Amino acid sequence: MRRTRSEVVGRAVRTAIRNPGRTILTMLGLAIGVGAFLAMVSFGTGARSSVMEQFEILGTRVVYIWGNMGRRDFGGSARPLTDADVEALLRDSMTIERVVPRVTEVQNVKSAYGRYPTKVTGTMPDFVHIREWPMLIGGMFDETDVTQRAKVAVIGTTIARELFGHRDPVGQTITVGSNLPLRIIGVLVSKGEQTTGEDMDEIILIPATTYQAFLGMPMGYHELMVQVRDLGLLETAMVEAIPIMRRSHRLADIEEDDFRMASPAQAAELARFVSTILTGLLIGIAAVSLLVGGIGVMNIQLVSVAERTQEIGIRSAIGASPTQIMVQFLAEAVVLSFTGSLAGVGLGWLAATLVAQAMSWSGTLSLLTMAGAAAFGTSVGVAFGYLPAKRAAQLEPIDALRHE
Amino acid sequence: MSGFSIVDARGICKEFPNMTSPVLDDVSIDVQSGEIVALMGPSGSGKSTLMNILGCLDGPTRGSYSLGGRDVSTLTPRERAWVRLHYIGFVFQSFHLIADHTVLENVTLPLYYAGLDRDEREARALELIERVGLGDRLGHRPAQLSGGEKQRVAIARAVSGKPRLLLADEPTGALDTKTGNEVMELLLELHDSRALTLIIVTHDPEVAEFCHRQIFLRDGKIISDGSQHAAHA
Ligand SMILES: Nc1ncnc2c1ncn2[C@@H]1O[C@H](COP(=O)(O)OP(=O)(O)O)[C@@H](O)[C@H]1O
Ligand SMILES: [Mg+2]
Repeated sequence: MRRTRSEVVGRAVRTAIRNPGRTILTMLGLAIGVGAFLAMVSFGTGARSSVMEQFEILGTRVVYIWGNMGRRDFGGSARPLTDADVEALLRDSMTIERVVPRVTEVQNVKSAYGRYPTKVTGTMPDFVHIREWPMLIGGMFDETDVTQRAKVAVIGTTIARELFGHRDPVGQTITVGSNLPLRIIGVLVSKGEQTTGEDMDEIILIPATTYQAFLGMPMGYHELMVQVRDLGLLETAMVEAIPIMRRSHRLADIEEDDFRMASPAQAAELARFVSTILTGLLIGIAAVSLLVGGIGVMNIQLVSVAERTQEIGIRSAIGASPTQIMVQFLAEAVVLSFTGSLAGVGLGWLAATLVAQAMSWSGTLSLLTMAGAAAFGTSVGVAFGYLPAKRAAQLEPIDALRHE
Repeated sequence: MSGFSIVDARGICKEFPNMTSPVLDDVSIDVQSGEIVALMGPSGSGKSTLMNILGCLDGPTRGSYSLGGRDVSTLTPRERAWVRLHYIGFVFQSFHLIADHTVLENVTLPLYYAGLDRDEREARALELIERVGLGDRLGHRPAQLSGGEKQRVAIARAVSGKPRLLLADEPTGALDTKTGNEVMELLLELHDSRALTLIIVTHDPEVAEFCHRQIFLRDGKIISDGSQHAAHA
């Protein structure tokens, strides 16, 4: 019994090989269907994990607080964010571990080799801890630098390239504004571009005190980066921080907040939700394309049954039973669907790899997904191969034989 | 020579839905085991239709048919396939070989459907292919063969399952005289060596000479049935 079963498959393979045109045509639909399915799955998961990575760049346990910066358009008060706010948050909250302020403005920046107007950020040493940002060479400025208003800077790789080319920037001097010379003490590891197109490596960090003393800071800090003790405390911290900030800004009850607050983790949650829906949608579209592939198999098999009517008549004149005829056509559907699906897995993998490379996503197709798609494609093909096989089996031998 | 009736068809009628008169009208025919029968008659007289019914490829509209003592007029499609496989061999005017199969594959096909294992199938088929003189053409496709060669492959295939009844519908009709004679000789040889019963549709009086008996059909009726020369009108 097993011997005849493997022979049935062997004969189907032989028929497929001996009729290459028909074979390729049948396989094509399923191959494209399975390929599209895998491509969609991989684009979905790839895009999703890359969105997640973008948010992780901004820190996972972080709440951002922005001030009004003197603008009165979204609140009555316009008090700047100050060191007093930082102290209040650290003193009055149970959940906050660190607060790092940041002021950022575009300045003229020069080196001995070039000039480059860019954003300069005054902040604290913990900036690099909150953003989980390692150094490429050199080190970050420390508390002593902050208290001494040291004329030092840490730069990103884009700045290093623009102002120093291939030279080692550490130990070199840049001039910010008209006359603030800063010694470079470190270069940050590259983080590349964000999806928004913002170059994360176009960055110059200097001590906040240095910024205040030499560049001036009339509007206070632009932003406070608040790191909570634990990811689970994020919500609590945000609820806690509001009254602390209001008190620190001495806002009356009727006054609206003159600051805003948001956390990347919350945004990530939303993005995850949206991308789950998107991925589902893509997979839905892909499933339809698979179905269309299955219908393709059915059509070609139906055409093939019609084309081979006389062959079916000959076989049944010789003595093939309806079941044997049916098994033959089903076996052909299995072989064509299976090889078609395998080809589809190849196509899908190729598309996924090319796109992943172009978008610099990490590997997005698991072996299980590919095996699943191949199995699904095969069953679709076989299911749609059933009708033509049945039709072949039900032909009247004499009508089939007389068929031209 | 005669033992028992292998073909016993009585009152066979065949009508097709779109035809006004029946194609076969009350045809009765009795063929003894081992007989060679020539079935003759003008084109359109119903010879092929009768052969198809005798070969269990088609059923009669009315009438009874027993094959080898067994009533086969009421069988299911599956049972009729079984009867064709084990009792009947067909040879057609247009050969009806399977185009993408080699000579060997064509000849082994009935044995495959009969469930024989590969070695036995090939042993039997090889012997037959040698016998019909095509031992050096095993791997050829039908398109690579001449008409006479094709018909010899078809004959080898028709007898590979050791049928009792061989039905040949104008087996020489597509061949020149010389090749046709060779094919007839082969059929008669196989008849002698394999205890076959042979029914041959032919237009050729010379071919009919070889046969024990000639049956003439006209407009779906048997107009004469007898031994040689009896029915020349
Ligand atoms: N399946 C069919 N449907 C309709 N008419 C048919 C069918 N088979 C045969 N006929 C008709 O029956 C008649 C006899 O045909 P056939 O048996 O092939 O004659 P012969 O073999 O003697 O030339 C012809 O008129 C033919 O057109
Ligand atoms: Mg005919």
